[in-house]
Amino acid sequence: MAKLHEQNDPYFIDFPARVSQIQKEMAREGIDVYLGSRLRTLSWISDAFCPWRSYVVVPPEGLPTVFTFVIDAARIIDESWLDEDHVLGYAPMGGMDQITIIADHIKAILKGKRGRVGFETGLSNYLPEGNLTHFEYEAFHDALEGNHLVNAHHIIDRLSLIKDQGTVNRFRRASRIVDEGHKAVKEALSNNGWKGMTETEIAGIAALAMRRAGSVWEWSFTGGNEIASGYRTGMAGCACTPATTRKLKKGEPLMVDIHAMFKLALGDHAHNYFIGQATKRQLWHAKNFVDIVSKTLKAYRSGASPLGIAEEMMDFAETRGFAEYMVPGFEHGIGMMGDEWRIGMNDGPMPYWTNPEHCYQEGEVLICAMQYACPDEKIGFRYENPILILKDKCEAMSKFGLRIEVIE
Amino acid sequence: MEHTVAYLSQQWRDEAEKRLKAEISPEKMKHLTSSVAYVYVDCPDGRDKYLFFKTENGTFAQILVGEGEPPDSEFRVTGPYDLFAGLTQGKIKSQRALMSGKLKLRGNMVKALKLASLADRINKVLEKIPARY
Repeated sequence: MAKLHEQNDPYFIDFPARVSQIQKEMAREGIDVYLGSRLRTLSWISDAFCPWRSYVVVPPEGLPTVFTFVIDAARIIDESWLDEDHVLGYAPMGGMDQITIIADHIKAILKGKRGRVGFETGLSNYLPEGNLTHFEYEAFHDALEGNHLVNAHHIIDRLSLIKDQGTVNRFRRASRIVDEGHKAVKEALSNNGWKGMTETEIAGIAALAMRRAGSVWEWSFTGGNEIASGYRTGMAGCACTPATTRKLKKGEPLMVDIHAMFKLALGDHAHNYFIGQATKRQLWHAKNFVDIVSKTLKAYRSGASPLGIAEEMMDFAETRGFAEYMVPGFEHGIGMMGDEWRIGMNDGPMPYWTNPEHCYQEGEVLICAMQYACPDEKIGFRYENPILILKDKCEAMSKFGLRIEVIE
Repeated sequence: MEHTVAYLSQQWRDEAEKRLKAEISPEKMKHLTSSVAYVYVDCPDGRDKYLFFKTENGTFAQILVGEGEPPDSEFRVTGPYDLFAGLTQGKIKSQRALMSGKLKLRGNMVKALKLASLADRINKVLEKIPARY
């Protein structure tokens, strides 16, 4: 059974302390029981990957209990720091369905009293977010009659915003693993290795190298490793490219955006190439992209904001004459598995989207993510790299190197 | 004519204990220490009854039948008399009964899955008791 790491382990995370923090916030907000259903919440509390619909019930004191589909409960017990009495399975049997078993558990915590039950709902552009569905809400509402259900996801969002050392170290390791994937791809492409190769093969080469280096999953829900070649690199505004069976062609751009997962921390780095040769015009596009990425990485620091960085970079792109090719977003959020996309808290003008005025703080981790796309010339590039916000700079975690190479 | 005992009577309990101890060894019970209460609702006499098993290291330590609330147990299965009677007679398989939604289980589902085969083993002994249902 996987338990808590030793405190001197670089990947140590104090999960009991996390639970205590949640319980303090619950007490402060008058919440008697917290019912989490989002994948990010499950990862952050249980330290286990919960791919099936799962829930976590946090009592006012003591250990939380994870509820998951019974076919996966034994594995989660094996991987989580929680024991078999705190990871329970639900199943399509009388009294064992997810609503009954969880509602009974919550009622037992409340000991017959009526209380306030925190739950998680909202809006997400990320498919596996895990907000409570309408059906689930109504079913829990009926099963917990007399109790007051309140949306409380902000508790987890606030507590998980600043990453502790163990989480940061896990992200660093995941990024090093991604670097191994990039090395393997570059090696495979070199010396005419690219000839006859498909995007899917590249995705597989990267996956094998990263798995050998310790990755457990090419975690992205955008099809795992995203590989695009030729016109697919430059589709208008497109930053989602699951690999296809398209073969690489000489003179075309190639974008390699690969993902690794290490202890629920997520590696995500994109690197770009030209296959065989590049025209002067293509190299002009490449220089634009490398320059703006380099400039953007220098802009991230404590006190910066997404809007401030976007304005500065779009001004730069305008000055250099390539603003029309930039997708005007420069980052997305990241955290332990299930925590992707939105930056910061849900406190911007658009509900559940990044607050453009969010003020970055030391200890935040995000993905510096930039997409350059010129559909008319069938060319585009992508940069992604997890960065740690520091006082007056950022740490780019993947070290593969910023450049756009011509594979000879 | 074969002598029969009334299902869930004291005589039936005595016969069940005798047969279970004779036919199911601690090894066959995987040296299990646990307890389960089957709560029968809508019995023919209109009352609710229970059948309670407690095992210690695979040995049947306590088998009880009674009316009303059973002793505390690790697992509790509640359902209609007819369904339980069908299970004990071997007319209904436990998987079908559980998935019908008519039986309600309380307890750790993951542990219960490990014990499902043991419940079947017990029922196979009980179904041989000549009984009036």
